[in-house]
Amino acid sequence: MGKQKVPGVFRSALDKAALWSRINSPWLVHFNSGSCNGCDIEILATLAPRYDLERFGVKLQGSPRHADVLICTGPVTRQARDRLLRTYEQMPVPKFVIAVGSCSISGGAFHGCYNIVGDVGDVIPVDVYIPGCPPRPEAIIDGVVQLLQKLKPPRVARVVARVSGGAP
Amino acid sequence: MSEQMTLGSMTELLKPWTVASRPVSDTRLEVETTAANIVPAVGALKTAQWGFLSAITGLDNSAAVKADSGTAAASGAAPAHNGGGFEVLYHFCRGPSVLTFRVKLPREAPTVPTLSAVVPSALIYEKELAETFGVTIEGIPDRRRQFLSDDWPTNLYPMRKDFSPGSAEGLAQAAPVAVAEERRGTLGTFIVPIGPQHPALKEPGHFELTVDGETVTHAAIRLGYVHRGIEKGAEDRSWIHNIYLMERICGICSHIHSTAYVLGVEKLAGTAVPPRAQAIRTIFAEMERVHSHLLWLGVAAHEAGFDTLFMYSWRDRETIMDLLEEISGNRVNYSVNLLGGVKYDIDAKGTDSLRRGMDFLEKRTRHYLKIVTNDESFLRRTRGVGNITFEQANLLGTVGPTARASGVSRDLRVEAPYLAYADFPVKTVLDTRCDLEARFIVRINELFESYRLIRAILEKLPPGDLAVASPRRVPAGEVISRVEAPRGELFYFIRSGGGVKPDRVKVRTPSLCNWAAVLSVAVGHKLADIPMIMVGIDPCFSCNDRSITVRRRGSDERWTWEELRRYGISYYGGDA
Repeated sequence: MGKQKVPGVFRSALDKAALWSRINSPWLVHFNSGSCNGCDIEILATLAPRYDLERFGVKLQGSPRHADVLICTGPVTRQARDRLLRTYEQMPVPKFVIAVGSCSISGGAFHGCYNIVGDVGDVIPVDVYIPGCPPRPEAIIDGVVQLLQKLKPPRVARVVARVSGGAP
Repeated sequence: MSEQMTLGSMTELLKPWTVASRPVSDTRLEVETTAANIVPAVGALKTAQWGFLSAITGLDNSAAVKADSGTAAASGAAPAHNGGGFEVLYHFCRGPSVLTFRVKLPREAPTVPTLSAVVPSALIYEKELAETFGVTIEGIPDRRRQFLSDDWPTNLYPMRKDFSPGSAEGLAQAAPVAVAEERRGTLGTFIVPIGPQHPALKEPGHFELTVDGETVTHAAIRLGYVHRGIEKGAEDRSWIHNIYLMERICGICSHIHSTAYVLGVEKLAGTAVPPRAQAIRTIFAEMERVHSHLLWLGVAAHEAGFDTLFMYSWRDRETIMDLLEEISGNRVNYSVNLLGGVKYDIDAKGTDSLRRGMDFLEKRTRHYLKIVTNDESFLRRTRGVGNITFEQANLLGTVGPTARASGVSRDLRVEAPYLAYADFPVKTVLDTRCDLEARFIVRINELFESYRLIRAILEKLPPGDLAVASPRRVPAGEVISRVEAPRGELFYFIRSGGGVKPDRVKVRTPSLCNWAAVLSVAVGHKLADIPMIMVGIDPCFSCNDRSITVRRRGSDERWTWEELRRYGISYYGGDA
């Protein structure tokens, strides 16, 4: 057991290949830390044929060990906090977090309830927030695409920005 | 079961254990009894085969007593509050009738005996009562926590009136808490833990399945991962705020939750809701049933490994989502209900789209019915699997399509019509095969019934106003509101102290009723069938959790959670 040693010459080439494949096929793991299901079913609807998030190579994965991106919904309840942390810790680095829905941003409608310890950002670092109660599937797609843009090396990002006419 | 077993005859039957008996309405009877007499009284009810235990409500009267002394002339409507003690209400339902046992308990050391020996499904409600109100349940066979988190302080009971979320000592600390040592099997048994994080994408729940080889020998459940404290939260919000909170109890059945709530509050306030509003509420309730059943069909197919059906049913579900959005502007939380009416009208254009949508969905649903009853590989996963017999379903208090697939005719839309169901009757869809296939067939046939109903209401949509004004303060009183959610009977108990906020809102959701049946049915099945059985009642599960013990040949090396956690992080390249 232990980490495989890779000779230095191949190292950077492998890293590049890994990054390339990560951007083109990020695997998601989903965790509901106290959500009402509204966001969860919208995430699922986003993956279903109408919105088809899978065209970005996104695949929903069962195990955090196989995932690049943790997609979180809901405020964090006392009982779920530790499990959320553990799920996050189980993911291999580099790892990214998307928080979906108003509750995961601020506690939303459940703010002040006794079993809520806070929002997702209080427990784990979040890369992309998607607001809405629940967010529309288009918003979720936009959030995921923004994350993918973030992953790209700066040179690629600049080219993409130039082509699409936006600022880098 | 004879029809003479009305509430009146129950008064006679229960006389030996009654302190006081009070008919609240034609369909509600309240029997006051004592903690010592509750078990024999419930036993008599069970011998007479009258109804099922629908919910146990706890009440803390300390605030109500204060309100009483403040406004001394609060008429005689509300029952006397036993000097600020507790009350435990056991609600038994049979068709439209509700029989409530009221047990008054002192503030110091409130204790009731467990009903679980007589009514096995009582266990889950009693645990809730013990955890949130601190009522000691004598003789309860299982004292493990079910709803509150493992690190919740003992002797702190959130539903008591003297608890307030902000002030409680020790609750505000956000330091990660070490997870309590997980329960391990005794020698020779193996426990497969499932959840709370699992790939099936709905509520997190934790299951522990004890297996012997591939066969499940015991099943246990731990809930509370999404326990947010809504019932307490409702006491801090106004009557109107609460519509929004109740809508967010569940994102799938959001409309039916707010409907149950507003129907209860309107009954307390005596608001006469215009018929057009009731009809529109009904249309939304049925649309919600359609989207929920299609969603379930997809998820259940996914559990069976039939992803094509999952994708197709979710594609077609978008039709109903579009219709919901067209009329209300929202896909998920439609916010249709107001106290006293609805917000949105259905105009000629909406009617037209609805009709076209129903036509399309009906065609597709026929196709799905053909698949689930003909596809050989699918039938092998469903036919004869997860049998819940009529007796089990009846005794364990299952509700909704799960009960109806076992031949138990429980459908509040038929038995106690609310909204516009009296004018537009529904046919109960029953199946007596009791297995998973029956649950598929019942749900799919209910879809046809919903399509028919939506068309029928659109045909004769009553004219008139959409809403009437509703008072900001709701008169003191208690009310029970029961509606048929897509998953079964949804039970609300609402008590008002006459103010701008409710005194108590008790919500009993249908899934809670069905757990008892599912856990007992799981035993004896192959592990691979468990996800399908779980999903059969309409939550869903697969697995993901890890072992605590690392065993190498010839050695018995044990790691603690903390060591395993650090090893896992560093192995995958992080900084432990």
